[in-house]
Amino acid sequence: MLQVQNIEKVYGSRNNVTKALDRVSFDVADGEFLVIMGASGSGKTTLLNCISTIDMVSAGKILMDGVNVAELSEDALAKFRRERLGFVFQDFNLLDTLTVEENIGLALSLNHADPKTVQTKVREIAGKLGITDILAKFPYQISGGQKQRTACARALVAGQSLLLADEPTGALDSRASKNLLELLSLLNRDMGATILMVTHDAYSASYAKRVLFLKDGRVFNELLRGGRERSVFYHEILDVLAALGGDVSDVL
Amino acid sequence: MTYCKLSLRNARRQARDYLVYFVTMVLAAALLYAFNALAASEEVRFLAAGSANLSLMIALGSVAVVCVFGWLAAYSTRFMLSRRGREFGLYLLSGLTNRQVARLFFLENVTVGAAALVLGAAFGGLLWQLLRAIVLAMFAQPYRFTLDFSLPALGLTGLYFALIYLFALGRSRRRIRKMKIYDLIYFDRQNEGAVLKTGALRRLVFGLSLVLGVIGICLLLQMNMYVALAGALCAVLGLFGFFLSFASGVPAFFDRRPARKYRGQSLLVFRSLTAKLASMGVLMAVLSVVFAATLISEGSSSVLYGILKGRTAEAACFDLYIGIEGGQPDPEPYLSYIGENIPVEQERLYPVCMTGKTQLQDYLEDAYYNYDYDSDPVLRWSDYAALRTLAGYPAVEPPGPGRYLIHCMPYLAGPLGAYPEALLVGQTALSLSGLYTEHLSQSYGTANGRGYLLVLPDEAAEGLPVHHLAYAAKTAQPVTTKQYEALAGLARAERGRENYTFVLSKAYEEAQVAAQAVLVCFPLYYLALALMLTAVTILTIQQLSETERFRRQFALLRKLGMDRREMARALGRQFALYYSLPAVPAVLIAASFIVHLAMMPEPGVMVGWNSPAAITAVSLGVFFLIYAVYILLAYTGMRRNVLPN
Repeated sequence: MLQVQNIEKVYGSRNNVTKALDRVSFDVADGEFLVIMGASGSGKTTLLNCISTIDMVSAGKILMDGVNVAELSEDALAKFRRERLGFVFQDFNLLDTLTVEENIGLALSLNHADPKTVQTKVREIAGKLGITDILAKFPYQISGGQKQRTACARALVAGQSLLLADEPTGALDSRASKNLLELLSLLNRDMGATILMVTHDAYSASYAKRVLFLKDGRVFNELLRGGRERSVFYHEILDVLAALGGDVSDVL
Repeated sequence: MTYCKLSLRNARRQARDYLVYFVTMVLAAALLYAFNALAASEEVRFLAAGSANLSLMIALGSVAVVCVFGWLAAYSTRFMLSRRGREFGLYLLSGLTNRQVARLFFLENVTVGAAALVLGAAFGGLLWQLLRAIVLAMFAQPYRFTLDFSLPALGLTGLYFALIYLFALGRSRRRIRKMKIYDLIYFDRQNEGAVLKTGALRRLVFGLSLVLGVIGICLLLQMNMYVALAGALCAVLGLFGFFLSFASGVPAFFDRRPARKYRGQSLLVFRSLTAKLASMGVLMAVLSVVFAATLISEGSSSVLYGILKGRTAEAACFDLYIGIEGGQPDPEPYLSYIGENIPVEQERLYPVCMTGKTQLQDYLEDAYYNYDYDSDPVLRWSDYAALRTLAGYPAVEPPGPGRYLIHCMPYLAGPLGAYPEALLVGQTALSLSGLYTEHLSQSYGTANGRGYLLVLPDEAAEGLPVHHLAYAAKTAQPVTTKQYEALAGLARAERGRENYTFVLSKAYEEAQVAAQAVLVCFPLYYLALALMLTAVTILTIQQLSETERFRRQFALLRKLGMDRREMARALGRQFALYYSLPAVPAVLIAASFIVHLAMMPEPGVMVGWNSPAAITAVSLGVFFLIYAVYILLAYTGMRRNVLPN
């Protein structure tokens, strides 16, 4: 589905250049749950921004179903984002002025979906994510976990093919984090959602099928879960992080 | 860093962040200075010939204007305080005392106020020259630009500004000195208290307010002053109800119609509005009422000026006109005085006769004509031709034998021109050969007919009964006030129960119009401008305070795939609705009021540029011009700041 080929991202002017991404390459297959890990400043959020077309690469290619996103016009990029990508952010990014139902429906509305079908589709996805009873509430009236479920619903309701999650558990307590990660696994397993998640939390990463490690803008290592237990996979991730030399706070 | 430096830096930042407020305070200072200079001007006092009244009226206007701008300053400083509460809380945390923070806030506001005063006074000097040019033009005096600066006006403006700021800052100072760190840090979370607590009650009030609004507007459109007043009351009540319940009523409306809610940008636009109005319902209703007051003040000023101007234009079209009535009208005392005191270039003494029938009066009916006149008035052709020459009108063809002309006020031209029958004068039938509508002093009892007169060939008018004698003259110099008063004194001395002799002088009447305009119309316009600037500034400050929320919203929407054009469209629609909401009801209420007021004078006065439609259109035009400037400023600034590149 997604092919990242030798991408580079350079910030700054001639005298003060920072290379945030350095020849990064990987593929994401349909229905995969991939996690990108790394310490603060390793380039993982820059990578996500480039994939989501919010930022443009300095070199290399990002192909989505064979289409180079760098060659798309501004309008085509907007269309690409709303039709193909779903976002879940650390700070939820729900609009305070809209109810939960409207926040989810917004994605359909932006996709110019038939207005008559919006409510039905929103209720359908809300039922799957267990948030039907909070549809009439505003974001300030619900918990962090419920906000993230709402964000997931918004990311999938319009049939988006790739869900991009940026530290989705960053603002949640451990119980809400566990619930969200189980939900993402469920969406991946039962609904076939392709998920690309960025995190520096090993526990969150252990829910993925594959983990890529970034260090100083380069792919440092890759781990495949295969048929292993999640707890085993978790410890393997910790070992790689230790080898990476990340801070303890980044690992735990 | 000393307080002074910190205050100065904050003042600069404040002027930049609240540029709209700063610009309005500059305009406020300019307005105050210009009108104070008007009241203090010896030149204008001399022309208005009523210095005590002029000063009093401008002072009354200034009191009202100072109250209005005081409200703006108080509102804006409180608003700034709420937005900067966190910053002040940090000052307290850093070890400053409440008293020091209050002093800091006071100093920076005084700096901004002083800057506005200096800039405003300079701009006010130019505005005063504009006012002066208008006043001189009204008094038919030549204007020459002079760069004079009125110290009394400057002193008064400084005093008014001090009052405005002391009132506003006194309240903020007390508030800061009493506040605790927590209160300051979380001050921006305090919204206007919800007046209607429950959703069900709000929805009920929303429905009722719509009904009241519709009833109010229907009543306002009725041509009856008392019914219209009841309508205005209903409309204002509806207005408050509408804005207080908007935040519940509109979502309830859309909840029942989900398909509409999710169409286009409706969801974003209506939710932005409901979120905003949930916290400023009362303010929005007040602003709407202030807009209505602005338009009413502006319209009343124009109507009043229109009445004065319209009546004078018709009545005083000759340099000098005297209508002499009585059983045996005697023009001798007047002619004698004129011969001795007023150099005349051309003059005419002539009789205004009557046909003895009310043929045209009956035809016109009450809809067009509601004056009591014994019968249709008549002028001989030779007198009429002389009057046209005196008034400077082009010569016209005389009525041939068996024909007649009509000279009437413009509003009667339609029906009289369509009169289908022959005119019977004695036993002779006459047909219409021409109709003219220039001003010919036709609006008083002893004038050239009331509203209309018939012009007959001299031989046809021979022997008709005389209604009164009239004298019209073109003078070498404009008639002075002293000369006018001497002639008017003669008329008063002669005037008996059945005698309505009166004197009209073009110069005197026009000076009276100008004086009344300066005394009454100018202060009304002054107030209207102050109300307008205040209300639109508050509205704009409120809108611009949403910049950060809009920036976050559009950044997210960009990530979700909304293209920039759609964002700009959503922002534009939100702006249009936000600014329309208080303006539309105000326009409906005020336009009905202005039309009523403009239709009250006798027919024939409010015509042309003074017609009800023209006055309403001009009042709305000025209103929307100022409104559009503020909206454009706010929109371009907001668009630049919130839409992603």
